[in-house]
Amino acid sequence: MLVVTCPVCGVQGEEADFHYGGQAHVRRPATSDPVNITDEEQRDYLFIRHNPKGLHFERWRCDRGCGKWFHAARDTVTLEFKAYYGITELPPVELQQQAKGPWADYFKSVAKAK
Amino acid sequence: MLEARFESPLASLAAPTDTYVSMREIAERGMIDLRGSAGDRKFMAAAKSALGVDLPKQPRTTATWGDVRVFWLSPDQWLITCPRAKAQEMADQLSKDLAGIHSLAVNVSDMRAIIRLEGEGVREVVMKGSAIDLTHGDYPPGTVRRMRFAEIAALLHVVEDNVIDIYVFRSFAQYTWDFLRKAARKGSEVRVFPKAG
Repeated sequence: MLVVTCPVCGVQGEEADFHYGGQAHVRRPATSDPVNITDEEQRDYLFIRHNPKGLHFERWRCDRGCGKWFHAARDTVTLEFKAYYGITELPPVELQQQAKGPWADYFKSVAKAK
Repeated sequence: MLEARFESPLASLAAPTDTYVSMREIAERGMIDLRGSAGDRKFMAAAKSALGVDLPKQPRTTATWGDVRVFWLSPDQWLITCPRAKAQEMADQLSKDLAGIHSLAVNVSDMRAIIRLEGEGVREVVMKGSAIDLTHGDYPPGTVRRMRFAEIAALLHVVEDNVIDIYVFRSFAQYTWDFLRKAARKGSEVRVFPKAG
């Protein structure tokens, strides 16, 4: 059982008080280019998720509390939560630098766009 | 013509005598669900003019003005409790004052049932149904939060150190009552928890 803390209302609760919302920072191809999306891109966006050993960025909802969505960075080996951050926010810079796979590309592209 | 008449979900139940904290239903409170953005100054000002008190912005706190009490539920949601007879009038007043502002005020007085627990050991009784640590300093009088209680959604309001109100959806009233009655049965005191504070 995980112990989760909601960054919005500040309550700490067990996993069942929250709702896991899957992988975070998944880029929707149709957002940047609604016309030229390949079937493969759309398939990957809908169904293919990254399943790393180690640092994982995910979404959670404070299901039985304030009802708000938020982001969390968690280590899938130790189950330790590394950070909680807002649903519209990016993780702390040091975690962005440690990110691998699709997240690394995502954080880099967001930083570039800024 | 038939007129809608409020009936309390627990009216037929007698107060139990076999529990170590007292239990009763509070049927005379009305409730208003208020939604709007805490960051919107116009909204906050209009709500204050209708209620007489600033909406609390701090998570899990309450604000009181006379017989009106405002619960913080989330950054954009508040629950206002007031005497049942005043609820409709107050909801109308809120809607009027909030006209033109992106917000919502609805009289939800019949949506939930309130059960009041009173006496030494109330925190312990509630802890039998939830995973939160009510003996922690995080739960002084005035604290309000939603929680998972006995596997259902409930709202917890610490009124005083030894007085706790539990708000549940009306259809869960009997279930919650039965659960609490069993959890608070005389002889089932745990007494291993430190006093709150």
